[in-house]
Amino acid sequence: MTFLKVRELKKHFKDVKAVNEINFEVKKGEIFGLLGPNGAGKSTTISMISTLVHPDGGDIFYKGESILKNPKPLQKKLGVVPQEIALYPTLTGYENLRFWGNVYGLNGSLLKQRIEEVSKIIGIKDRLKHQIEKYSGGMKRRLNIGAALLHEPELLIMDEPTVGIDPQSRNHILDTVLELNKKGMTIIYTSHYMEEVEYLCSRISIMDQGQIIASGSKGELVEIIKGNKRINLKFDNISDTLLGKIKEISYINNVEIISDEVAITTNNGEAIFKDIINKVSETDSSILSIDVKKPNLEEVFLHLTGKALRD
Amino acid sequence: MLSIIKLRFLRLRDEYLIIVIMTAMALGLTAIFGTSGLSIYRPTVLIINEDSSSYSEMFIEEMERDSTFKFEMSGYDEAAEIVDEGKALTAVLIDSDFGESIDRGDTPNIGILKVTDDRYIFTLERLISSISNRMLTNVRIAEITVGYLENFTDINREKTLMSIYDIAEESWRYRRPITVNREMINVDGNGGYDHLKHTMVGFSIFFSTYTLVFSIGTILSDRQYNTWQRILISPVSKASLLGGSMIASYIIGVFQVGILILGGRYLFNVDWGSSILGVILIAAAFVFTMTCFGLLLSSIVKTYSQLATVTPIVLISTAMLGGCLWPLEIINSRVLLTLANLTPHKWAVEGIKDIAMYGSGFEAAITPTLVLAGMGILFFGIGIKMLRFE
Repeated sequence: MTFLKVRELKKHFKDVKAVNEINFEVKKGEIFGLLGPNGAGKSTTISMISTLVHPDGGDIFYKGESILKNPKPLQKKLGVVPQEIALYPTLTGYENLRFWGNVYGLNGSLLKQRIEEVSKIIGIKDRLKHQIEKYSGGMKRRLNIGAALLHEPELLIMDEPTVGIDPQSRNHILDTVLELNKKGMTIIYTSHYMEEVEYLCSRISIMDQGQIIASGSKGELVEIIKGNKRINLKFDNISDTLLGKIKEISYINNVEIISDEVAITTNNGEAIFKDIINKVSETDSSILSIDVKKPNLEEVFLHLTGKALRD
Repeated sequence: MLSIIKLRFLRLRDEYLIIVIMTAMALGLTAIFGTSGLSIYRPTVLIINEDSSSYSEMFIEEMERDSTFKFEMSGYDEAAEIVDEGKALTAVLIDSDFGESIDRGDTPNIGILKVTDDRYIFTLERLISSISNRMLTNVRIAEITVGYLENFTDINREKTLMSIYDIAEESWRYRRPITVNREMINVDGNGGYDHLKHTMVGFSIFFSTYTLVFSIGTILSDRQYNTWQRILISPVSKASLLGGSMIASYIIGVFQVGILILGGRYLFNVDWGSSILGVILIAAAFVFTMTCFGLLLSSIVKTYSQLATVTPIVLISTAMLGGCLWPLEIINSRVLLTLANLTPHKWAVEGIKDIAMYGSGFEAAITPTLVLAGMGILFFGIGIKMLRFE
């Protein structure tokens, strides 16, 4: 029996198809990634799985049972780390954890013990007595995760848990996710940070404009762009003439400006350098650097949608 | 549900200042306005005297001793016009045979020109009846005494009659010729308007509404903190979430109103009347209604800041209409009095005043309590319907 199955799930907000008939499955014990740019429909999907938003169509099955018909079994076993901090700022860290533990039916010594364990996992034990409005962004994020772990959920959903925090807290969170997974927790991890999803997830679905455009393991997804190469070129001066000349090269599939670089994708990695140097020499620009990129999910997304993940 | 109630009490540290300030405001403003005596309301009563005897003059003099009303002399036509326009509560018509009736020992004919019946008219009727009965008794005492004295000596009948009448009247006033053991069934002697009580009741009702609305309004700050959504996806049911929030607000409201009732009793020596149970019942029903009203307001606005903007406008206007800031007795407009019936404030203020000021018993609490409960259920129903759970 599949642990979690999403079938033909649909949600519209007025004329916007936020989620448009998507299908995927999550296996017990895996970290499943939902990757996509902002507005792709990841959070809406998560909201429907976590029973906050009712879908317009389709269904979600938890251990074979529809959560639309009976959400209680999932709610008891589900931990959600929302994208926004969802805590009471004027309460202390300890009071917040105690409240969220109460909400999931924990009381007395068991609750105390779980707060102890969770505060160790998230690494803020010594700050629990302080009001969380005095915490740094990274510490709030960690407590936000901690509040979802108290009742030892079977399924943990993490919606962009590392947005807007320092690298140290980010690394701590990523290590925590791996640790929890090692202990057997099933995790759905959504992010628009390709590196995080690549690092954590065993299987990934890529979303764009409310649809899943590709699914599989990282290796399977990179296979989609097999033979394609991504080359980033830095010039002293980027002009329309320069871009026009590069586009004249017949085996270049895509040309895009990403910050101060020109990114090209091609399926002919051997002869391309010679042709590029020839074409650039016909303009006023000079090449400063050439960087051949290893295929990754960013390339896959670019290949499938024609735009960068961070667009 | 218990976890939600505990949370709300825990979060009181964000709001305790509102409760303290509103309670202090109610007590402070009662001290300022209630005891200043600057704006004591006394309805105007016109007197049309068609009698020329000294009895009618004594009758008028007696009436003017009563501080509940402001008496003014007037002609019949003028009085009819003024009463019809609502500029005076009523006019008392002393018939031309008033003095003769007293002399005969008959109850004198006294007419009352009125547009509506209210508790002031009732109080005035009791006052008139009390004075005329006393006059009749005094005359009877004087006649019996003079008759007795005439058997022994030669006296000036008229002069002696008046003299004995005065002695009898004085005895009523100071010497308490009759002693009655009584239980208090009425407050403040004649059960008239008491400005301090009105101020105490009005301000208590008015300022408690702020605490109640802002207390249930914390569900909006939950939304702002994203914890509302987080609770909704937990095993806590929507009923527990709302029920817990409402119970906590209700307890906070009852606690504050309780402090105000006790504050009135011990700081201002306010006598809450013969049915404290009735006063508590109305106060409890009002707290319920305003908690539901707070829920309704919270379901209409989107954020806590919007609630903070809208609430004073709504609460001040309903308090003005409902008679919290001034007595409804001074309002003549039928439109305003009809609108007042639509506010919970009116039912609470008038209900409590009926008991504490006008001497009614527990039965006076039943109608206001039922109306308040009905309003509360209506506000709750609409509030739930409009509240966003996604």
